[in-house]
Amino acid sequence: MEQNRTPTRRKIRTYCNQCGNGPDLLTVETLDGVATRIEPDFAAHGVHPADGKVCVKAYGLVQKLYNPHRVLTPLKRTNPKKGMNEEPGWVEISWQEALDTVADKLNGIRKRGLKDENGNPRFAFTIGSAASPMWYIGSFPAFIQAWGDVDRSIGSGTTNKCYHTEHIFGELWHRGFTVLPDTPRSEYIIGFGYNADGAAGGVIAARRHADARARGVKRIQFEPHLSVSGASATEWLPIKAKTDSAVLYAMLHVLLHEHPLTDLDVDFLKNHTASPYLIGPNGFYLRDPETRKPLIWDLAGGQAVPHDQAAADPALEGCFEVIDAIEIGADHELWTHARASGMTGFEALRRHVADRSPEWAAGVSDIPAHKIRRIANEFLSHARIGETVEIDGHLLPFRPVAIVFGKSVNNGWGAYECIWARTVLQTLVGALEVPGGIIGSLVLLSGAHGYDRMNTVIAGEDGFMFYPFNPTTKNEWNPRSDSRHAHLTLTPMAGDGIYSHNIGSTVISWMRLQGRAAETWPRPNPPDVWFLYRCNPMNSFSELTKLGESIARFPFTVTFSYTMDETNHFADIVLPEAMDLESYQLIPLGGTGWLESLWSSKGWVLRQPIVEPRGEARNFSWISNELARRTGLLEAYNAAINAGACGVPLKAEGYDHALDVAEEHDEKAVWDRVCKAASASLTDGEEVHGLSWFKENGNLLRPMSTLKWYLFPKMVETGLRFELPYQERFLRIGKQLANRLHETGVEWWDRQLADYEAMPEWKDLEKLWDDALQRNYQAAAKDYPFWLLTTRSMQHAWGATASIQLLAEVGNNLAGQDGILVNSIKAAELGIRDGDEIEVRSAVGAMRGTARLRHGVRPDVVLMIGQWGHWKTPFAKDLKRPGPNDLIPMNMDLIDGMGSTNETTKVAISLVEARP
Amino acid sequence: MTNTGQVLQANWDWRAAGNFMFGGSGGSLLLIAGFSSLPDVPHPLVAAVAMALVGLGLFLVWAEIGRPWRFLHVFFHPRTSWMTRESGVAVAFFALAITGVVLSLPVVVAVAGVMGLLFVYCQARVLKASTGIPAWRQPAIVPLILATGLTEGAALLLLLLAAVQEAIPWLDYILLGLIVVRAVAAASYLHALARANAPEATISVLKRTAIPFLMVGSLIPLILIVLEVSMTTEADIAIIVAGILALVSGWYVKFTIVTRAAHVQGFSLGVPGPAS
Amino acid sequence: MTRYVMVADLNRCIGCQTCTVACRHTNATLPEIEWRRVLDMESGEFPDVERLFVPVGCQHCADPPCMHVCPSTATRQRDDGIISIDYDLCIGCSYCAVACPYQARYKTDRNRFAYDGKPMPSEEILMDEKRLGVAQKCTFCSDRIDAGLEANLTPGVDPDATPACVNSCIANALHFGDIEDRESNVSALVDNSPHFRMHEELGTDPGFYYLWRRKSVEE
Repeated sequence: MEQNRTPTRRKIRTYCNQCGNGPDLLTVETLDGVATRIEPDFAAHGVHPADGKVCVKAYGLVQKLYNPHRVLTPLKRTNPKKGMNEEPGWVEISWQEALDTVADKLNGIRKRGLKDENGNPRFAFTIGSAASPMWYIGSFPAFIQAWGDVDRSIGSGTTNKCYHTEHIFGELWHRGFTVLPDTPRSEYIIGFGYNADGAAGGVIAARRHADARARGVKRIQFEPHLSVSGASATEWLPIKAKTDSAVLYAMLHVLLHEHPLTDLDVDFLKNHTASPYLIGPNGFYLRDPETRKPLIWDLAGGQAVPHDQAAADPALEGCFEVIDAIEIGADHELWTHARASGMTGFEALRRHVADRSPEWAAGVSDIPAHKIRRIANEFLSHARIGETVEIDGHLLPFRPVAIVFGKSVNNGWGAYECIWARTVLQTLVGALEVPGGIIGSLVLLSGAHGYDRMNTVIAGEDGFMFYPFNPTTKNEWNPRSDSRHAHLTLTPMAGDGIYSHNIGSTVISWMRLQGRAAETWPRPNPPDVWFLYRCNPMNSFSELTKLGESIARFPFTVTFSYTMDETNHFADIVLPEAMDLESYQLIPLGGTGWLESLWSSKGWVLRQPIVEPRGEARNFSWISNELARRTGLLEAYNAAINAGACGVPLKAEGYDHALDVAEEHDEKAVWDRVCKAASASLTDGEEVHGLSWFKENGNLLRPMSTLKWYLFPKMVETGLRFELPYQERFLRIGKQLANRLHETGVEWWDRQLADYEAMPEWKDLEKLWDDALQRNYQAAAKDYPFWLLTTRSMQHAWGATASIQLLAEVGNNLAGQDGILVNSIKAAELGIRDGDEIEVRSAVGAMRGTARLRHGVRPDVVLMIGQWGHWKTPFAKDLKRPGPNDLIPMNMDLIDGMGSTNETTKVAISLVEARP
Repeated sequence: MTNTGQVLQANWDWRAAGNFMFGGSGGSLLLIAGFSSLPDVPHPLVAAVAMALVGLGLFLVWAEIGRPWRFLHVFFHPRTSWMTRESGVAVAFFALAITGVVLSLPVVVAVAGVMGLLFVYCQARVLKASTGIPAWRQPAIVPLILATGLTEGAALLLLLLAAVQEAIPWLDYILLGLIVVRAVAAASYLHALARANAPEATISVLKRTAIPFLMVGSLIPLILIVLEVSMTTEADIAIIVAGILALVSGWYVKFTIVTRAAHVQGFSLGVPGPAS
Repeated sequence: MTRYVMVADLNRCIGCQTCTVACRHTNATLPEIEWRRVLDMESGEFPDVERLFVPVGCQHCADPPCMHVCPSTATRQRDDGIISIDYDLCIGCSYCAVACPYQARYKTDRNRFAYDGKPMPSEEILMDEKRLGVAQKCTFCSDRIDAGLEANLTPGVDPDATPACVNSCIANALHFGDIEDRESNVSALVDNSPHFRMHEELGTDPGFYYLWRRKSVEE
């Protein structure tokens, strides 16, 4: 070894966006060109909300880069048989051969037609969760756009692993694809499984919650196990699994039945919600016959007036006799009332929760009534109703209370009840989209309006925000949408935007491919060509064994891969893709993003190669270019880049950095143009910086007012109301959808149609599961006495870090990461000791792992942390950590109205082998 | 919160234990032999075994250290390190013992025996200074280590003399007395550990050790010695068995303390005092 | 006088192990050798359970048992309170490791690597034979402190003069500074919060303060 020479040391700036919360900023140190260390980007102190720090995952990037198990050459399958137990027979091939083979298949599709005989796209593309792969995918979106019809409904985890129902209703009600507490101002936060400190909120949430604790915030955590977030909360309440809605309904009950109206935020309810809207005898709003506007009761005038009558003093409580009104039901059904009793939405709400007392909820949830009552009252008293705060010269209501959710509370059965009750609770105290309350931070469904969520606040019907429902009326309904999950047909709430494929029911795609759903429709063909990037559905979806049988039938699968894994085991071509530290991409930075990623500045940040790509790995921009050329789409591809497929239009008012569409451009040229366009657009042309500037400086930011965190001022400005508590539009859509489906002979979606309630009835989910188990698997409730829950850890949430030794190593410092968490006392009853091998068995699968005993988990729950259970991924498979996914059933009874499923199942456990 | 992470230490294994076992026996052996043989030098076999045992113990330690060729560094810290002192005493032990035996100087051998005792004392203090291991840092370990060493020394001497067809009449009484003292030291050590809130696992391992130690290692030899002493008949076999049991039980208890009962301090939270 | 200490705020720490990996990076320690790590502690019985995350590592004691027992004088105390190990003097007897009541010390005789017993380029370039067969532990990143001081930076304030774990902490739970300086960041933290030091009864006078405000739950 040369000891005497000092190695050349360099620090290079880049970002980590391995999870949805990024990008966060970091520097990589190189020694003689070898990447060695990750450090925070100290220069971002005071700019980045967590002062330029990155979470534990980012430190895994060096191992991720040099992992000897990486796929570093294109591979071709030689064994035509596919299956878990089939050896693929990989043969290394050149990029030339790989791309020619792929292009050949793609050109075949272009010849035969982009859609097959069922109308489904022949080309499908699947990426991993939270869309974070988009921040690594280079110019591939331009290829997708140039291509045309692509099916993105074959999910790798969306709808069963995402905040599905919250995405939908969050956007509908307050443009919150993700919903978060305004942590920097909050004083009282109630979390139901909200895992901000543990994994979900990334580095920014971790910092903000720590700051909030130091400030004295009170945080209540309802969760069946004592998670990281529960540990750092003021109080952990070990709620029975799947009973969150009972507690929330009881909180509504306390506020609405144990307090006078005047204790609530009356002004907010009257003027900024639909609480005063009058509901007619058929369950639809009473409307003015002429303008068709919903009516409210004006206490001052003693009569019903349209909701937007400025001088009115709307009544909140009671029923009123309305003269001369209409109701509009489903499919334009019209009722004309000469006289009708109209009940305010608020009154209907009050009555809806009349029986839902804390005493009732205690019996359901295992949380004592006095605690529920105390927490509801604290929520109210901490809301500081009437107080205001000034932000950038604007006076806003100050309501520092928030209720927030984690996964499986906010998707699948029960999620609608929870999200509705929560958002209604927030409106009762005026803590929706105001400082201190709950806010949204990201829009993905409400229209392509760039990253500015405020631009999506535009007027829709009835004084509410516009929402892009898929049509359900007779003439407009699409009876056969092209996606395999039929999102335009089945899930009107998914919309038809760039992200809607991910919000349709991907469980339905898989079940249809398996012939287990939609029996009146033809069974879809697998896509002729399937691309996968940064995802591993054979590990992350549900009922994996069955999933494998489906994937084995896919005729041509191309994966862009890091290592061999459970899914690319079934691939035909495996392409080595350049990693985080090996490629270019300029992406948006700051603004308001995923969950708690709220900044007071926004701009752009560059990912750049820290080292040359290892082996034959190639970045996605190069791959996209090659594919575009080989499929004759180069011009369209370039045009898509010019139009903004790389994040910003290359030509707009004030600047023009457009590419010559007829020419081929290498990735540096593309990203140089994108850098220039992005900087010009950010600074209104004041600063134009190319690639070399961004390589040196990393990012470019401009201040952004934190007023942009809150929707309320914009709602006031546009004269719109939050669409709560009563869901008249949703009710109508549900009825129309039912009509359409029944007209076409579809009865198999009826259970889901029942979810379309104007105010959701409380549902007993334990019973729902027990019934489903009995109906589908002939199992009695007592056969599966435990709930199997799962949760994410920061070391491994997103980011494909299962094969990173460093992260697995430090993950072992946390209880249960290497096994199955079981309550200590329950385990003793069952004769299970810490370290024993146990089996967890559900109606559809079984998984073994090491029992880890703790007191911080309910006796009727077992917990698997992370998504393990690997049998192929190098390194990860040797860890023998268990994963829940093969145990979680895909079943029509377990899909909710929006199309998602809970990430949980009922299980039994048994001792396999005592540790020596 | 109670202490967590009270795992077994993994730094010193059977090799280190060997030093406490063999070094303790060898050092004590030369002490008793050196003085009991005055005005002569002890039987050469006895002196040789004593030195070999101490040497074997030190060799085992040498085989355990990470940088064996730097072993001379062990002498650098006499001011506070009992390991340095132990090593220094060992050097004196060997120098005096070899000189005494080779030149047949009984007093020098006896002084070497004193070094042997000092060596055992240093070993006891090595353990006591190990703050991280509750089973070792307990002050009552010092009399226990001394008593085990001396008991083993006496037992060994008795066995070696039997081998060369010699005997010291009062040695039986010395062994008998030492076994009693050792049992008392062991009991008070265990008692002190329990009072000091030593790790549960440490206590339970030691309690499990106590039964064979006290029964097989102490009570039976005592009975055998009493039998031998009271019945004036030649009962060499009884005393030999007693000697072997006393020797092996001493090794057993030290092996247990160094390897199997050596749980670390663990981690615990203190009581947060007020802001100062 | 100067005495550098670490302050860990247990009400902030979330056990994420970012400090653990930052330390592994900065000090290039081998797999499973964690000079800094965070414990996941639990107490009580269901449902009255408390879970706490507790960063641990060398406590840089004022009265360090490891130093007293060290036969080679490899373990020393610097004037600023940092306990150092001279890798050239250490004989690897591990006496210090059993003397330390904080399980802070490691020894490995062989290089180990993240994957398959073979070094990756990043491991190869950082390999340090000097560390084999000797005791090793947290240094409070003394090389960073020394370099920082030379550049007129303040340890605990300027990142380039501050231990990597502190720099990396995403919850701002870890702090570093001079406890003898009444005006320092760490003095202010310790002065203003309830705190304890671990195993103080053993007389080690540790240089690691844990800030901890116990939860009070109303009924």
